[in-house]
Amino acid sequence: MKNIMIIEDDEIICNELTNILENSGYKVSVLTNFKDSLEEIKKVSPDLILLDINIPYINGELLLQNLRKTSTIPVIMVTSRNSESDEVLSMSYGADDYITKPYNPTILLLRINAIFKRINGYIDNLTYKNLNIDIGKGTVTNGNDEVLLTKNEMLIFSYLVNHHNQMVTRDELMTLLWNNSEFINDNALTVNISRLRTKLKELGYDNAIETRKGYGYILL
Amino acid sequence: MKFGKYLKDNLFNIISFFTIYIFIILLFIAFEIDFSLIVSITFLLFTYFIINLLYSYFRKKYFYNNLIFNTEKLDKSYLVLETLNKPNFYEGELLWDILYNINKSMNENVKNYELQVTEFKEYIELWIHEVKIPISSLVLMIHNHKDDLNRRLIEQTKRIEDYVEQVLFYVRSENSEKDYLITENKLSKLINNVAIKNKDYLLESKIDFIVENVDYTVLTDSKWLEFILNQIINNSIKYKKNNNSYIKLFAYEEKNKITLVIEDNGIGIPSADISRVFDKSFTGHNGRIKTKSTGMGLFIAKNLCNKLGHKIFIESKVSEYTKVYIEFSKNEYYSVLK
Repeated sequence: MKNIMIIEDDEIICNELTNILENSGYKVSVLTNFKDSLEEIKKVSPDLILLDINIPYINGELLLQNLRKTSTIPVIMVTSRNSESDEVLSMSYGADDYITKPYNPTILLLRINAIFKRINGYIDNLTYKNLNIDIGKGTVTNGNDEVLLTKNEMLIFSYLVNHHNQMVTRDELMTLLWNNSEFINDNALTVNISRLRTKLKELGYDNAIETRKGYGYILL
Repeated sequence: MKFGKYLKDNLFNIISFFTIYIFIILLFIAFEIDFSLIVSITFLLFTYFIINLLYSYFRKKYFYNNLIFNTEKLDKSYLVLETLNKPNFYEGELLWDILYNINKSMNENVKNYELQVTEFKEYIELWIHEVKIPISSLVLMIHNHKDDLNRRLIEQTKRIEDYVEQVLFYVRSENSEKDYLITENKLSKLINNVAIKNKDYLLESKIDFIVENVDYTVLTDSKWLEFILNQIINNSIKYKKNNNSYIKLFAYEEKNKITLVIEDNGIGIPSADISRVFDKSFTGHNGRIKTKSTGMGLFIAKNLCNKLGHKIFIESKVSEYTKVYIEFSKNEYYSVLK
């Protein structure tokens, strides 16, 4: 389980963020001792850090600079400062990404995911039960049977596979698609899901995607 | 400084000279003095008088004409004293000293205001960063407690955020020269960010968001441009028609510029209003139908565009369409440098 460290002095944000990250299957540590933040980070040695710029004792940018002297732990700067120069500065100090507050939590999760993917190298192949999913080619195969998925269907299906047995809301799917420049509306999402269902049925997986009324979908 | 007026100003001098001269001549005649001596003395007196008049004219003329000319020519006329030497006649010196003192006290006054504005601006920026923390908390909390209220809550939070952002960019656009940083930015990425920000608002309003052919790189400040696009898209949402609404973004390239067009099929802007939509606090016909219009959004957007060197203009036809054009110039120099 990936360990994410939150460095943020606002308690409410910390709690809510912890909740969101834990629900997405991450282990969360929260930095409490800002005085020796660098030591604390080394002790926990997280897989990724969410770093606020305005923190007590030391400025987030400075902390990042100090951290980069000895470590390559991925860092996402999360801050309410939204000027271009702040962003350029943070990136030049070695941040891996920069997100301004307030942000859409699903986007944050997608960005975190993107960083982990980058580090582990792209995994173009996913599996779901007996199905082999080739994201690059856009195909799903079951033995000799193969179906072609459109870009949208592939985005939705791979997201569902990554959240196997978990509830996925329509809003999450919408955010995922919009994040990939597919600005579709509610109807189009419904159509995409039903097409995906038909294609899975062809491969022998009828009713794999269940609808939970008022919430979203779940891949069983 | 005109010679005629100068003479008029010296009228008393001239009259008294002639009066004295006539008395002298009368005296000479009374004492039966030789005619040729009268002519010589007349000649000397007149020469002396004219030279004296001309000398003091030209001495003043040089200073005053420079003063007038430079004041008119300088675009910051209060700097005129810097362009002049201190004159070498008494009245001029007096004037110069007074101007100098007035200038100095004015500068101090202006400086004082400048300081106040800067401090206020710094406070606003700080305050905005502070207020964004509870807004972020709200967004996260809403996300953690999913129910039907969700989208509406997020929408309202987004509105608070937008209004807060508007203040920030107003302050930035009015008062600062170095708050922005021009870099190369992918148009598609900026549009993506703005789209995601407005996702719930657009879906809730049932507006189709269409993006075509925006694979261009432009020179701009990404945060500023995102704010500008956000204002325009918010307007499109606010002034939509009831059904089949869309917002379409596309771009095209010409010889030395790239143009981004944001088109909607909303209620449009009456032609009487269109030239004034970028004016401060202008709400116009549409602003009066739909309430809650501050008339600041487009004003700030225009201001920011001016600073960034982008051209922005609007075309519209009532109840058919509104098209906002943003032109980015291509910088040859920049691409050569790279």
